[in-house]
Amino acid sequence: MSDTLDCAASPAVEGAAPEVKITVRDLDFYYGDFHALTGISCDIKARSVTAFIGPSGCGKSTFLRCLNRMNDLIPGTRVDGTVLLDGQDIYGPGVDPVDLRRRVGMIFQQPNPFPMSIYDNVAYGPRLHGVKKKSELDDIVRDSLERANLWKEVKDILDRGGLTLSGGQQQRLCIARVLAVQPDVLLMDEPCSAIDPTSVQKIEDLMAELKSSVTIIIVTHNMQQAARTSDETAFFLQERSGEPAVLVEFGRTADIFTSPKDKRTEDYITGRFG
Amino acid sequence: MREGFRKELKDLKASVIAIGHDIVDVTRDAVRALVEGDVELAQRVIDGDSDIDARCLGIEERSLEIIATQFPVARDLRLLHSLAYIAMHFERMADLAVNIAKAARRTAGRQGPQTLYDLIQAQGNLVQRVLQAMLEALEKNDLEMSRKLQDLDEPIDHLFKQFFRELARLQDEEDIEWGSSMVLASRYLERIADHAVDIGERITYMVTGHFASCEDDEA
Repeated sequence: MSDTLDCAASPAVEGAAPEVKITVRDLDFYYGDFHALTGISCDIKARSVTAFIGPSGCGKSTFLRCLNRMNDLIPGTRVDGTVLLDGQDIYGPGVDPVDLRRRVGMIFQQPNPFPMSIYDNVAYGPRLHGVKKKSELDDIVRDSLERANLWKEVKDILDRGGLTLSGGQQQRLCIARVLAVQPDVLLMDEPCSAIDPTSVQKIEDLMAELKSSVTIIIVTHNMQQAARTSDETAFFLQERSGEPAVLVEFGRTADIFTSPKDKRTEDYITGRFG
Repeated sequence: MREGFRKELKDLKASVIAIGHDIVDVTRDAVRALVEGDVELAQRVIDGDSDIDARCLGIEERSLEIIATQFPVARDLRLLHSLAYIAMHFERMADLAVNIAKAARRTAGRQGPQTLYDLIQAQGNLVQRVLQAMLEALEKNDLEMSRKLQDLDEPIDHLFKQFFRELARLQDEEDIEWGSSMVLASRYLERIADHAVDIGERITYMVTGHFASCEDDEA
């Protein structure tokens, strides 16, 4: 029997330390013999946006996928260390990865709507989780599309194919699809790299709105996007080819982009390498 | 990487330092005009102010353009912001030198007590020392030098107070009028040095990312 992860978040207490949503300790990750990440430890705060930055191949997307066990789908991978979601080990025995991925949803670089109607795209997850009543599904679809800032644009064409939408709309449809199953955490792997600037702006606005209810982690190659959208930033680096990547610095985005503590962070974000 | 951008930053800093050297010159000339009663020299200081104003404004404009187009961060951002800030100080320091030059115009042709001439010249010399140290700290990103500025500033403040005491001894009404202009000049010199100390704190921030304590300013 698989454990169901408890998704009840404790309410924020004024003046208390920020609630930690995800705790990572001493994480190492391997693709077969290749040691990709080592010694990663960090706390991801609840209801905030955290950006992962670093040069190509520094392991930031690999680390992101460790947070909802997406790497489990790649044969030969191994994770050492601990990842706690609301204090519970997501790699613990009996944890159902499918349930985990409902709670920790993911948005990819390329929008990937299912080849079905806009409505069915959003209703897909809730139906899978047993919601059958039409009026209930209607409410979920509308609410999710509203939260994804897409409702106004598609409310009259809900039966049209999701793939007929523009790239930026497709990405927001994918966000609505994830929101429909009420995730606690949204992992975004370069969500804006394949869409036009206006849509980028809409998704960044959306992130700012969603973070009051969802913990967001975004991998981005766009330093300005990291600076604009995130509360905290993590800088990853593989210092030498063949060596595992490390988490060099993790801190308030405002501090990272004005006064980073580590010279390697400073050199990367000021464009001196990478 | 970003070689063009780096050259722009380097050139902008060189332009700010060049203005700084001109501030040293106009301050020295203003004091000399005051002490020697040289009206022509005073006028040259006054006439040169518009050029310094324009160059300081140019620094601010260029900093904003680079921030808007190049998205600088970390030390580059701190440098650009600090250069604009320092240019603003330089513009005010030049205005203070102009005020001293105007005092020189007012007091020329009247001979006051030698003690006060000596005091203002001594104060002027100390201000030159602070300005040179500030420029050296800026040119070399020298934290130790920027921290010394506060100490170098202290005797200037003392001289300003001493100037007041000397002024109180004047009896003759013409002397008092003359002395009032001189005490204002002494105050302007003290303010120029204060700006240099503020610039020193900005250099510390520019280099380290941490703001120096402002407690001394508030005391």
